[in-house]
Amino acid sequence: MAAPDELFCWEGDWGLPSVSTDCLVVLAYAQFAGAPLKLRKISNPWRSPSGSLPALRTNQKETLSRPSDIIIHLRKQKFNADYDLSAKEGADSLAFISLMEEKLMPALIYAFWIEPKNYVDVTRRWYAEHMPFPLNFFLPGRMQRQQLEKLRLLRGDERLEAGEELEKELYRDAAECMNLLSQRLGSHKFFFGDSPSSLDAYVFGHLAPILKCKLPNGKLQQHLKTLDNLTNFCTNILQLYFPKDGRESFSQKTSPHSEGGDFDHVPNKRRKQFLSALVALGAMLSYALLTGMVSIQHAHHEALEEPPDLQDIGSHHDHEDEGDG
Amino acid sequence: MVCRRYTNKAAEPWPENATLYQPLKEDQILLSDCASSLAVQAYLRMCGLPVQVFCRANAEYMSPSGKIPFIHVGNQVVSELGPIVQFTKAKGHSLSDGLDDVQRAEMKAYMELVNNMLLTAELYIQWCDDSTATEISRPRYSSPYSWPLNKILAYQKQWEVRRKMNAIGWGGKTLEQVYEDVSQCCQALSQRLGTQSYFFNKQPTELDALVFGHLFTILTTRLTSTELAERVKSYSNLLSFCRRIEQTYFEDKSS
Repeated sequence: MAAPDELFCWEGDWGLPSVSTDCLVVLAYAQFAGAPLKLRKISNPWRSPSGSLPALRTNQKETLSRPSDIIIHLRKQKFNADYDLSAKEGADSLAFISLMEEKLMPALIYAFWIEPKNYVDVTRRWYAEHMPFPLNFFLPGRMQRQQLEKLRLLRGDERLEAGEELEKELYRDAAECMNLLSQRLGSHKFFFGDSPSSLDAYVFGHLAPILKCKLPNGKLQQHLKTLDNLTNFCTNILQLYFPKDGRESFSQKTSPHSEGGDFDHVPNKRRKQFLSALVALGAMLSYALLTGMVSIQHAHHEALEEPPDLQDIGSHHDHEDEGDG
Repeated sequence: MVCRRYTNKAAEPWPENATLYQPLKEDQILLSDCASSLAVQAYLRMCGLPVQVFCRANAEYMSPSGKIPFIHVGNQVVSELGPIVQFTKAKGHSLSDGLDDVQRAEMKAYMELVNNMLLTAELYIQWCDDSTATEISRPRYSSPYSWPLNKILAYQKQWEVRRKMNAIGWGGKTLEQVYEDVSQCCQALSQRLGTQSYFFNKQPTELDALVFGHLFTILTTRLTSTELAERVKSYSNLLSFCRRIEQTYFEDKSS
């Protein structure tokens, strides 16, 4: 058996295996199709072979980035979750995936990256906390600019900015999309039959972040929670295919509740701040010792000597006076 | 996607002097715009709403959203098929009332499929494929203007479309992959259509208008290579679908 392909993806949080929609889609499909992948959960996109996440490094050292490309590659390797679908169901899959990309994805981008409160309180904080130094200073901002430009190009409006009207329009489209998905799902467990397919992976990837992440401006989550069948669909997949990550969410849920999380961080932060202040002080002191401090001591030494000088001159004068006189 | 809000409801009937604007047909209009315009014309004919087609060199700039085509009805201006469908619905004309919820969900999903795959593929072939862009798209797009404006506008549009392709992940695709996507999309449409006359029941809907607009334009437009048309032609039920709609709704139009 050849070595398994390596999948690089974002770390998980909030009870999810990954925080990024594209990564979730690929992870879910790999679970559904039973594809053995070597998972590398990282929070530094620069360590990925393609510079972005998700990225699949195949046995032939080829790197694939787009979720659709990765799914096609897995299919070619006989890991096909859509094997039992009829031709019409395959066509419906394609149509509903397009529906989500056109109507739901822009709202997701807006909710996580463009809406000011959400971005500052949740998204930027998460990425800055999880990325290594020094990327955490500039990479979240750069990602936000990329997402804003993507939204501008999708809408065809170069001067798009965060605003109430844009938010209303995007969320309206997203709500309609979720309603349509809910109507199509009906009371079934998965979209086609009893086993999940690629459409289920895409729907899970788009809806799970909305469901699980607590955002200050959570209108999408409110609407999603009114659609019971979609909520159950997501939790079902999490329980069946990602049980480990679901369990982690319990331990994480308790810490914010008791606010111990915040206080747990503070001593660490304080220690780090103290250490860095100490290092800075030490550096300044050593620099001063090597260059300035020595001269200060010298001046101090001369200052001590000066009064005796004056006295000498005084006594010298006296002597001279006496000498003269 | 801009549509001016209408103050009164469906009280006003459809006026006789409704007009549709698109770029110049012979020299300027490109494949993607022609497809969108034909889709809107087909939809209005299916609703039985008369509209006059005017060709203007600056149609793109006149449009409220910058997209072609747009219609001028009474004192309102609406562009793109989606808002136009909503607009006519407010006036009491709709083709999709007879559908149930699941069918309506499917219809919307398939319309997005056409927009997401076919329209994007058309834009890619027009502007990201160097031979097509140089020989057809750039000269045609700016043909009404004189030098140096024609060069500036053409390159600006090309740059804009290429940026969009990169943003949605199509920038790294090869032409072969794009043709594959077109085939996949046509296969999905062909599967959904099956042996029926129209996509839903015996009556056409806006989905039929949209599919007709794109497929008919692809089949009848000459590009640098016939690959795109060949891919569509391999699905016979789609061909007969296009012919049927052309004969039913565009019979008076002399080709």
